[in-house]
Amino acid sequence: MDLALQLLFTGIGIGAVYALVALGFVLIFRATNVVNFAQGEFSMVAAYLMVVAVEAGLPYWAAFIVALLGMALLGVVFNLGVYYPLRHRSYLPVIIATIGASILLANSVLAIYGPQPQVLEGWFETPGIQVGPVYLDSQYLLIIGVTICLVIFNFWFFEKTLLGKKLQATSQDKEMASLLGISVSTMIMITFIYSAVLGGLAGILVAPVLFVSIQMGSTIALKAFAATIIGGFGDVAGAIIGGLALGLIETFGAAYISVPYKDGFAFLVLIAFLIFRPQGIFGERVAEKA
Amino acid sequence: MRLTRRDFAAGIAAGIAAPYLIKSAHAQGATIKIGMCAPVTGPAAESGGYAIKGAKLALEAVNKAGGILGKQGELIVEDDQTTNPGIVLAFSKLASQPDIVGFLGSIRSTQVHAMAPDVIKLGKPVMIGGTDPNLTHMGNQWLFRCRPNDSYSGRVIAEYGVTTLAKKKWAVLHSTDAFGTAGGKALTGALEKLGAPPVLDQGYANQSQDFTPVVLAIKQSGADILGSYFTFENDLGIFARQLRQLGVNIPWVGSPSIVNITALKLAGPALYNTYGVADYAEDSSEGSKAFGKIYRDAVKVAPDNQSSWTFDAINVMAQAINKAGTTEPAKIREAILAIRKFAGAEGEYNFDQNGDGLHGYNIVKNEKGNITFDKHIEFND
Repeated sequence: MDLALQLLFTGIGIGAVYALVALGFVLIFRATNVVNFAQGEFSMVAAYLMVVAVEAGLPYWAAFIVALLGMALLGVVFNLGVYYPLRHRSYLPVIIATIGASILLANSVLAIYGPQPQVLEGWFETPGIQVGPVYLDSQYLLIIGVTICLVIFNFWFFEKTLLGKKLQATSQDKEMASLLGISVSTMIMITFIYSAVLGGLAGILVAPVLFVSIQMGSTIALKAFAATIIGGFGDVAGAIIGGLALGLIETFGAAYISVPYKDGFAFLVLIAFLIFRPQGIFGERVAEKA
Repeated sequence: MRLTRRDFAAGIAAGIAAPYLIKSAHAQGATIKIGMCAPVTGPAAESGGYAIKGAKLALEAVNKAGGILGKQGELIVEDDQTTNPGIVLAFSKLASQPDIVGFLGSIRSTQVHAMAPDVIKLGKPVMIGGTDPNLTHMGNQWLFRCRPNDSYSGRVIAEYGVTTLAKKKWAVLHSTDAFGTAGGKALTGALEKLGAPPVLDQGYANQSQDFTPVVLAIKQSGADILGSYFTFENDLGIFARQLRQLGVNIPWVGSPSIVNITALKLAGPALYNTYGVADYAEDSSEGSKAFGKIYRDAVKVAPDNQSSWTFDAINVMAQAINKAGTTEPAKIREAILAIRKFAGAEGEYNFDQNGDGLHGYNIVKNEKGNITFDKHIEFND
């Protein structure tokens, strides 16, 4: 039982990281109908920005704000440089452009900062607390807390605010949204900014656990992408549930079946979903008229 | 101007012959070229940088001392991207240059396995740092190892843990790649011979984000000592932190990565009081101390095996070419295998007929981040 509780906590913690990155995938997919394969690199860039800001002597909270502002700027540049010029093309050139952008981002950070992996201290001085038989890592607690807050915020933002509804309208039907006077390009710009900030937030939060390295983004993004498919592409709740499910599956699978095949369990579930429920947990079946 | 049939034939002949003449001129060029596959990008990019620095420092010293066959040595580096396809590509790029007389391969066994078939096809000497014992026992006569192999490291880890630390309930943790699997097998075999078969033999996949299930398995096994073979420092850092956080404080004797500069930086206090088998230990010999000084003065970072093996590889190859008096591969091979009592940074080189230059390991301890030398264990087989 003690073992299961420890695994439950860790599985939810790592799953929350996948969920945060998956949220970024979903938001951009809803707005543009393309998958942004640079979403993982957003996490990596933000973690490096945080390291640079802390090394420059800024207090942790100020470094956090600077890093997120940097990510907002990256969101703008990404939209204007990668998506906007290709917005009238089919989804394929845009997807290829995002893959290219991810390689560019990774190699740019490598060229500017060098290959050295970095240690980023967490928010709390205490690394964790022992509650009975379970050790609660303070960073994972923070990640879980932030994920819960974001779920609530997203619900409020998309369902209760005018801007959120405009974003939803844009993601559902751009032409109709445009006819209703919504500036589609502005909404897509906001989506890219929000997704970049979300990806960055995930990177900053997970950096004290996984260290800051050029590869950190791609490692997380692969799992987050799987989580997005499991949850249902295009669904915010699906991204969260998919991420958490993936974290739990791989943690429990590793503990009770096989450690070396930990990643295998995650992708086995992904394959099962693609075969038996391709629309994911929350996705709706799309039928074509004869 | 009228083009005659003779002019045309002469032009065609010159066109066909020119590339060969240019290549031949290059081969007899002003420098002796040595190719090096190193991770400039990818997860091992930092340690790859150290490896390149070690090789360059050695070549500088060789050149100052008169060079190779009276010419200056030149290092040509190709990025292996820390991947198997990456090193195959990097090696093929280098191999296509006929004026490169010898090569430095990888410290990662799995990458050496990947490039090994191309090494046989090329038929030129390649110095390697991968420690999977099979690499020099699979009929590839062009691989020469500048680090002791894991049949020694497994025995040293087992011997030290069982005899010196008096621990018999072992948990063996290893990567599931070629290096980790061979290392884990060597350690398990050595423990069985000492009458202490492991209570847990646990593999893990490289680039894991979480080691909680592994730590809990160690905890539940009741092991009183841990032996490990980690390939990547990131993994080692994450594991070390989680091990301590989850309250496992048993003695830990690890393969050389446990004392790598990158691992020490990432894991910090989580690695205090651990032991490592290290092919490079600064205080283990005069050659090691001399290298340590050169490296610290030049790079301003503490040396580790990432730089020491490439430093030795260049020196061994330069000496072999000078002894052979030619760049002919078969002659260089003979000269390498004939090397005896060569004082390198990693220890004393005595090449055997398989191409293994070193036959022992150092035991070191992490004392609050400082690596202190305990003893050297040498084998005669």
